Amino acid sequence: MKKTLIACIVLLAAAHARAADQTLLDKARAEGKVAFYANITAVEPIMKAFTEDTGVKAEYTRISTARFVATAVTEFEAGKFMADVVQAPLPILELLKEKGILAPYRSPAAAGYPQWTKKDDYIQLFGIEYIALIYNKELVKKADVPKRYEDLTHPRWRDKIVMPNPANHATTIGWLIGLKEHVFKSEAEWMKFLKGLAANRPMFVASLGPTPAPIESGEKLIGISMPKYIVTKAPAPLDWARVAQPMLGTPRAIAVTSKPPHPNAARLFVDYWLSQKAMGILAKDVGEYVLAPGVFPPIDGIDKAKVIAIRELSDEETNKWGSEFKKIFNVR
Amino acid sequence: MVQARSKLTYLLILIVGSLTLCPVVMLVLGSFSKGLTAFGSFTLDKYVQAYTDPEFFNAIANTIVFVLGSSTLATGLALFLAYLNNRTDIPFKFLFQIISIIPMMIPHLLFSVSWALLLNPSNGIMNLVLQQAFSLDSAPFNIYSMAGMILVEGLLDLPVAYLIIAPAMGSFDVSLEESSRVFGAGPWLTLRRVTLPVLRPAILAAFILGVVRSLASFSVPSVLGMPGRVYVLATYLYEMIAKGFAPDYGKAAAVGMSVLAASVILIIVYRALTSESEKYVTISSRGFRPAVVELKGARIPLFLVVGLLSMVLIVLPVAVLLYTSLVPYSMVPSARAFSLMSWKHHWTEVLEDPISVLSLRNSLILGVAGATLGVLLSVFVAYIIVKVRSTASGVLESLSYLSFSFPGIVIGIGFMWFFVQTPVYATLWALLIGYVATYMPYGIRPLSSAFVQIHSHLEESSRVCGASPLTTMRRILLPLLVPGIVSAWILMATMFVRELTLSVVLSRPGTEVLAVQILRFAEDGLWGKLSALGIMMILVSTGLVVVATLVGARFRFVEAAG
Repeated sequence: MKKTLIACIVLLAAAHARAADQTLLDKARAEGKVAFYANITAVEPIMKAFTEDTGVKAEYTRISTARFVATAVTEFEAGKFMADVVQAPLPILELLKEKGILAPYRSPAAAGYPQWTKKDDYIQLFGIEYIALIYNKELVKKADVPKRYEDLTHPRWRDKIVMPNPANHATTIGWLIGLKEHVFKSEAEWMKFLKGLAANRPMFVASLGPTPAPIESGEKLIGISMPKYIVTKAPAPLDWARVAQPMLGTPRAIAVTSKPPHPNAARLFVDYWLSQKAMGILAKDVGEYVLAPGVFPPIDGIDKAKVIAIRELSDEETNKWGSEFKKIFNVR
Repeated sequence: MVQARSKLTYLLILIVGSLTLCPVVMLVLGSFSKGLTAFGSFTLDKYVQAYTDPEFFNAIANTIVFVLGSSTLATGLALFLAYLNNRTDIPFKFLFQIISIIPMMIPHLLFSVSWALLLNPSNGIMNLVLQQAFSLDSAPFNIYSMAGMILVEGLLDLPVAYLIIAPAMGSFDVSLEESSRVFGAGPWLTLRRVTLPVLRPAILAAFILGVVRSLASFSVPSVLGMPGRVYVLATYLYEMIAKGFAPDYGKAAAVGMSVLAASVILIIVYRALTSESEKYVTISSRGFRPAVVELKGARIPLFLVVGLLSMVLIVLPVAVLLYTSLVPYSMVPSARAFSLMSWKHHWTEVLEDPISVLSLRNSLILGVAGATLGVLLSVFVAYIIVKVRSTASGVLESLSYLSFSFPGIVIGIGFMWFFVQTPVYATLWALLIGYVATYMPYGIRPLSSAFVQIHSHLEESSRVCGASPLTTMRRILLPLLVPGIVSAWILMATMFVRELTLSVVLSRPGTEVLAVQILRFAEDGLWGKLSALGIMMILVSTGLVVVATLVGARFRFVEAAG
């Protein structure tokens, strides 16, 4: 009797959820479209799949990290904020939340995600912008591939490394701080690593985007870059160094906005974005590291890697460390 | 006549002022505002922070070297090429003319990357060839250096300088040179004492525009300077706004004010140096005829020099782009790389991508409509600047430079702060207005150079014969201005087709443009797609240049026949 009652309750709840889903879908369809502001790259396949599956048009506006907050705040203050949903590194969404630009929404699609990804009622984490040592597998001998981050300080890598500028690239600054907090046993060891890396005179580029090209062409042999390029740049001869220590990255977050022009389409989009299907596309087509359980990018060995989300750094902290790294790496 | 000119001056001040002042006012507000947007409580903090940073002065020192070096190179090369193309019987002139302006059509980002592929010290193609040919131990050139930056920026600014100097060179009255020769001066002395002084306004205009352009340039300092750890003002500003997640554009605007001040000073200097404009008038009577200098024995050697120069400096980087668009990923040329070449890797994907196709269409519309509108406005502004040398015309000239003088990274935000208050925000109109407002000097400068050489006696004669100001403009001035109009249109159209700075801030779904799509590919490290779309951009611009040149030639012919 008790079992039957539970089964009935479950069935009723499922039926209610389906009805709620259908209602949301109908309302979203009536709104016609959803506007998505994001800094993530190559997400057009998800936009397309969403439009095909729901009949609601998804419009994607890509805004770089450096312009994200200024654009969102300016539009919001002028009453012209057109985004229904925003996606960006966690610190950006925290700033938008402080300005009153985000609305609370707990997506049912996030139910299976780890508890730590449910940042609060406003922000849901769905991925990690993971950073690794990427090398040219045709030009680097297997024996030389780093097994620990410290190996990057070996003189064999002198003038052979490419990385984003550690004096200003926020994600790289966060990554270096993450190494201090999660990988190196002491600050002295961390500092030794930084100085060793600096002594190898890495070539600096503006962000992570330009890091793989010099590696694939052989201009540089190794770089502080992202494993996702192994997927997006195939058949380029790129591979990642499977170091014994954890991989680190900035959490990627999503939220609905506080005055969305299409409120139902906004919630429907977040539900879809967090679904296994959308996260599967993001992992498979874009090589992203996602937090949907059991979904991994098609990169050999990534499913066994330990990937840690770096804690949020305030802008003051980022600026302070950027200035320190500027001195250590002799940027000027 | 004077009253009509005065009315026109004030009308133009109103139009140009509202176009250029609005974003600048927003930037001024932003630089004094406490918040992240243009409006907030008042503070001087941003100025104090910006101008007490010792690194600011290091960046300034590097900027001076970079700006003067690249502008000198661009002006010198433009003068050399314009002289040969316009005044001599060197063969394949039309081809050289196109080649001189090709860098104008290439996105600066792509041009810088292609030079990095050619001359990087690790495996730059040209370096590898030279190392093998001369058995060198190390790469002879390093593009990641101040010299490399000057070379590439100089080449990128060459078309601007060329398109300003060439029309002036083309309208040059050869009787002045003939007189010099009659009095016994040799070709070199004539060049130095007659030709160059007469061309001074055009040369100065080209140089000053080059200075202003390279001051605002970002691609070259970022792609070539950053890896070489050579920082100039643009990369200093980038560092300022790229650090952290809530960058302070107001602080960047505060630094931008000094660039603006430098630009305004340059304009004042330019006006002082060309104040006696009558000195440079060369088209004053029916005796005007452009003539060709016979190179005789020097014809073939000079052709080879220009050919080699064009090959090394322009054709090679474009060839690198074509190569990159055909190989599956960034590869040094080899037998394997050539065996893997295919259109399918990137060209097909780009042509099947709806946003890339939409961006091609939008850029073409903006190029044609924007340039036509821009040239129309520029004709009137240039006329007032040259022919009415009053305080009001000086104000007009300074206004026309306002938004152009700001570093590109900053002015885009100024426009966003402004347009967001208007209904045109997030439409193609915002891009069109922003383009015309920012790049007006590209239209005004070549037209001013052309106006400078037309004596007011021609206008006065027309008026004496009873023609109205509009008839005088249509029948007398416009036919003589055709080379300047064509140059201005080409400059604006090609600039608009590849415009990035404003577009990246103002573009929204449906209003994507080529440069923004190219930037997306760059951010994803997709150099093959980037190159394929870049070449499409060059083809679109080349098409526009050819059409403009042919229409210009036809218009001149019809007017001459009439």
